[in-house]
Amino acid sequence: MRNSIFITIFLLFFAILAAGLYTNTKEIQSPLIGQQIPIFNLPNLNSGSTLTNKSLPNEPYLINVWASWCLECIKEHNYLKNIQNINIKIIGINYKDTRNDALGWLGIYGNPYQFSIFDENGSLGLEMGVYGVPETFIIDTNGVIIDKFVGALNENDIRTKIIPQMLNTNSNKN
Amino acid sequence: MILGRKLYPKCLILIAIKTSIISILLFSASFSIADDSLLYNKLIKEIRCMVCQNQNISESEAPLAVDLRNKVKEMIAEGKSEIEIKEFMTKRYSSFILYEPPKTWQNLILWLGPFVFLIILSLFLYRKSQSK
Repeated sequence: MRNSIFITIFLLFFAILAAGLYTNTKEIQSPLIGQQIPIFNLPNLNSGSTLTNKSLPNEPYLINVWASWCLECIKEHNYLKNIQNINIKIIGINYKDTRNDALGWLGIYGNPYQFSIFDENGSLGLEMGVYGVPETFIIDTNGVIIDKFVGALNENDIRTKIIPQMLNTNSNKN
Repeated sequence: MILGRKLYPKCLILIAIKTSIISILLFSASFSIADDSLLYNKLIKEIRCMVCQNQNISESEAPLAVDLRNKVKEMIAEGKSEIEIKEFMTKRYSSFILYEPPKTWQNLILWLGPFVFLIILSLFLYRKSQSK
């Protein structure tokens, strides 16, 4: 009897530690999910005109944080262009970059963004808890962040995670 | 001589008052600077560099660590408290950004687990020694 208690306790600890081994510690749930997009006032990368929260679309869309110095961003860039082709709006945040480099980069790889917010010193990035560019946020009609992805998206992420959630928020609107 | 004698104590009092005022001012100024830098040094050792993992922002030269250090400095200069700064960080980067996990129900096993384990183990060993 006493032994069985110790065995169950041992197994319990074993299970907890084993579960710890298989959880992805790099994936951190953002506390910003369910929150509004932080208030910002930054220039448009292309025109230099001021962008604020009012410039953002009134429908579900994606925010993609990118930079010309970010190699992983090139990986996901074609997928972003595919998303844009199925009429999902993508807003870019050009994070800690120089304007010339960023514009040159868009010239080479193409521009899937409605517009890019030029976040030169990373202030908006800090407000949005950005730590590993590229990052992608799904935003609903009310400007609320409903999901966040860190790192380059692949085809599978887009098909199984992003598009279903976008369709969900769309149907909620209707 | 008579004039000197009369003036001397007055001057002394004046000088004493002036120096004490100056020293109080200096002391309070240096105190707040020392206080701020203490808080700064404490916080940058407790905030994790999210990019590098297992390094705090004082050890790392990653751009994000530099930004976060500057943010801490800025917030201290604004007179924000330690709790406010930590709250600001966790609201954006989750509690993972703090080296010390917050004492919540979810983290209870983390904080109490080792002690529970120790108690169970010592009970077990005690009983074993008794039976022998």
